[in-house]
Amino acid sequence: MRDVAIIGCGMTKFGRLEGKDLMDLLAEASLRAIDDAGAGERDFDSVYVGNMMAGELVHQTAIASALVDRINLIPAGAERVENGPASGASAVKNGFLAVASGASDLVLVAGGEKMTAVDTDVIGDLVSTMTHPTAEYVHGVTLPAMAAMLTRLYMERYGVTERHLAMVAVKNHANALKNPYAHLHRECTIEGAMNSIMIADPLRLYYACPISDGAAAVVLCPLEKAKEFTDKPVRIAGFGHASDVQTLQEREDPAVLKSVQLASQQAFKMAKLEPNDIGVVETHDAFEILEIVQSEDAGFFEKGKGHLAVEKGVTALDGELPINPSGGLKAKGHPVGATGVAQIVELVWQLRGEAGERQVKDPKRGFACNFGGFGNNTVIHILERGW
Amino acid sequence: MEQKFTGFKCKSCGRVMYPKHDRCLDCKGTEFEEVELGEDATLLTYTKLYALPEGIEMPPLVLGIVKFPGGVRAMGQLTTDDPKIGMKLRPVWGKLRKMKDREIFGFKFEPLK
Ligand SMILES: CC(C)(COP(=O)(O)OP(=O)(O)OC[C@H]1O[C@@H](n2cnc3c(N)ncnc32)[C@H](O)[C@@H]1OP(=O)(O)O)[C@@H](O)C(=O)NCCC(=O)NCCS
Ligand SMILES: [Zn+2]
Repeated sequence: MRDVAIIGCGMTKFGRLEGKDLMDLLAEASLRAIDDAGAGERDFDSVYVGNMMAGELVHQTAIASALVDRINLIPAGAERVENGPASGASAVKNGFLAVASGASDLVLVAGGEKMTAVDTDVIGDLVSTMTHPTAEYVHGVTLPAMAAMLTRLYMERYGVTERHLAMVAVKNHANALKNPYAHLHRECTIEGAMNSIMIADPLRLYYACPISDGAAAVVLCPLEKAKEFTDKPVRIAGFGHASDVQTLQEREDPAVLKSVQLASQQAFKMAKLEPNDIGVVETHDAFEILEIVQSEDAGFFEKGKGHLAVEKGVTALDGELPINPSGGLKAKGHPVGATGVAQIVELVWQLRGEAGERQVKDPKRGFACNFGGFGNNTVIHILERGW
Repeated sequence: MEQKFTGFKCKSCGRVMYPKHDRCLDCKGTEFEEVELGEDATLLTYTKLYALPEGIEMPPLVLGIVKFPGGVRAMGQLTTDDPKIGMKLRPVWGKLRKMKDREIFGFKFEPLK
């Protein structure tokens, strides 16, 4: 396999983006990434577009074909990649494999979603269709409900309190205030979070991500050719991808995200690295409990101790292991198909030292966790400086 | 006849599963028999949902995960507004919700007296 480098990246602002449709967003992010790579004159070999539900949300299908037409990447082979909310990371993985295998030399990976095209209750329902049709969905199970049940298990077993969830939210909102691309630009206090409306007891509004529009993109090429484009190529050192049973209740232990454990172990093995080697992390905190659980199951903290790391400030921007400097899904926003690509974009900026006010101190390697379903299909990437 | 909550027992290795898989989660066996899971399940976790899905009128919707005596777990609606972890519940057949004007029936969980 060839070494693969990220040579350019870009994204749109996340948020309720009135007046911009899905293709506007994908085109904007893609052109920014191509421009960042200085690859405007080049011919691309393949294009992967992470997207969860364009057909359902904006009544458009075959969006990868539409994207190459819109920004003229013709005749690159183009396809959409769907893996629920991990569609973005799955698209990056496909791009990585295309370059690593030698099949493609220049690849664009984009991810995008236009979620505000429909009302909140429609989104809630569409997202719930990821759950098991007969054992979960028909009973009225939603993603916030599953996150709430996981939260309560954690509270019972590990002494996590509501205050810990609020602490994660406060941290991520503070980081998002330093990120011009973030959806929610508002300060969040412990009291404010703990007084926000209850959506699925014990989860309040501030322990969940918002509904966002947005897109993100990266350009990949073999590391050996990266110097033609940039002085600061970022190497994809490893990836992992693993699944688990669909329903939360049937997991070996419903409080363990086994697919996160397995995918993380795969990624660390491939990269020949350990959790200790990582300097910055982006997690899939669609619900704040998930940042805590993922930080444990990925191997950064002992099981049941993730909330203590939050308490001690270990995961803060200036802590030993900053998590979600971008603001995370919580405050940066979660346009589902864009999220996995946007996590990679943030890590690239962090590794290149271009993250502005939210720059983590000199990270050499970054780790991203994007998950599809409710933790039953996880894609991990580990990035490192390639210069 | 009263409906019973059932799981699926693998004919090769004996593992009981719910919901049904076409291949056993342990041995990949493909033949199953339906078995009753019992009447006294224990509540492991729950939520009261205020952002309601379609066809459920009154918040909150109380959902939980219960564990049957043999270890098999199921997720479903609870008929009580005052759930407590560890409480005993039994499956009862009833209306779950309306979806696109169609009434959906299934098992819910009711506290044991
Ligand atoms: C929590 C939720 C139901 C709120 O949706 P909503 O009621 O339609 O919220 P709105 O978009 O109307 O926003 C109302 C206000 O709350 C704010 N807001 C929305 N979501 C927020 C969140 N998660 N945290 C903090 N503030 C939020 C909005 O900015 C808005 O503020 P404003 O009135 O000052 O402009 C919705 O965001 C949700 O379902 N989130 C989870 C999405 C999900 O499951 N994604 C997939 C996970 S894999
Ligand atoms: Zn078996």
